[in-house]
Amino acid sequence: MRRRTMGAMFLALSLTLVWGCAGMDYASVASIAVKTTVKAAEASRPISDSEEYYIGRAVAARVLGTSRLVQDPQLTLYVNEVGETVARKSPRPHTYKGYHFAVLDSSEPNAFACPGGLIFVTKGLVVMCGNEDELAAVLAHEVAHIANKDGINSISKARWTEVLTTLGTETAKQYAGAGGQLITLFEGSIDDVFKTIVVNGYSRAAEEAADAQAIKTLQKAGYDPGAMAALLAKMMAKKGAGSSGIFKTHPPTGDRLAKVKSETPAATPNKMEAVRTKRFESIKM
Amino acid sequence: MKVPAWLRKSRGWLLPLVLAVLLGSPVLAGADTMKVSLDNQSLYAEPNYSGTPITPVPAGAEVKVVTTSGDWYKVEYQGNTGWMHRGAFAQAQTPQLNLPGMLFGGGVKQTKSDEVALAGKGFTPEVEAGYRQKHPEMNFALVDQVESFKVDNAKLQAFIKEGGLTP
Ligand SMILES: [Zn+2]
Repeated sequence: MRRRTMGAMFLALSLTLVWGCAGMDYASVASIAVKTTVKAAEASRPISDSEEYYIGRAVAARVLGTSRLVQDPQLTLYVNEVGETVARKSPRPHTYKGYHFAVLDSSEPNAFACPGGLIFVTKGLVVMCGNEDELAAVLAHEVAHIANKDGINSISKARWTEVLTTLGTETAKQYAGAGGQLITLFEGSIDDVFKTIVVNGYSRAAEEAADAQAIKTLQKAGYDPGAMAALLAKMMAKKGAGSSGIFKTHPPTGDRLAKVKSETPAATPNKMEAVRTKRFESIKM
Repeated sequence: MKVPAWLRKSRGWLLPLVLAVLLGSPVLAGADTMKVSLDNQSLYAEPNYSGTPITPVPAGAEVKVVTTSGDWYKVEYQGNTGWMHRGAFAQAQTPQLNLPGMLFGGGVKQTKSDEVALAGKGFTPEVEAGYRQKHPEMNFALVDQVESFKVDNAKLQAFIKEGGLTP
């Protein structure tokens, strides 16, 4: 397809040059040749999994432009093991390049779910979780944001429409400009996602949906589904400590906690929970 | 001698020239051979870190670059062909901008169906490369590091079992 289109463009151009078709505009010749590549399917399609992945990478690169990563193989492995365990039981166990978890070197509790599956938790949040099940609750909640595409859905519809329009008008005349425009639109999309997941926080509806999903995921994975409510209660108790960090990105409220409690199924205590708590405590922070 | 009309018209030569530059310029013009600058590198069958490495490649080794896909270089080394991450090469730290790839789809293979061609357009590795040039303050190297971390499946199963969790 690609080769044929280019061939047609060059053929049209060289014919024009040889015969010196004075009355014909070169750009319109090229445009006729390229027009065949514009497909109706391009007019409206959702953001693909690979596009979501590249957006997520750029959002993560922006987060990591100002935050440091904890370079501790033992902690990184542990967080990835807990994270993978819950991701596999989530409604979206597989993404384009999989889930990857990392710990940010900050004492302020916070967590970010970059589209496509890059999930960051701060050291402060891991410390706030008193045991493995609560860490699993945090990670299941972040995985839910990725499964529900809460970050991706914050990209403005007008911006995405413009991306599709740009792709649909690839005439030779606009060729050089279109590449730059795509980068600008990519840039805008990163801003949209960053604003939601880092600056402004998720909507109340998105938070409640992620909580509900996290509870189900915890139960499927064999973790205590009550860990979500336990962690939220802890956050509520520390709410006076500030309105930044996780209190801004995933705002805890009394309503949210009440809803989580009502959604939590009664679980029989699992004696293996002690083993999990022990291995959580063995990770030096 | 009368100069033909098309030669007098500047656009007559300008447009084909621009097109030739845009469409014809390879990403690695004049850099077919690259030197590996990091230790403990390997060739991979696919452009990602999963899967068993084909063969180790020591620092200082020279590899022949066949093609590129995003952050990955398909290279030939001692009779083997495989993929290496661009992080292995010091001279490849800044990705090159590839405008044709942005609009006609990047990647390695010549696309056959229209569907595949469409899937290759939009926010592609080439768009990321353009974004990175504009934003050197973003830390993509750390993103690559986070992405390269992979939990071994056998290890994960043991972890699940040890914690009394559901496999
Ligand atoms: Zn949330």
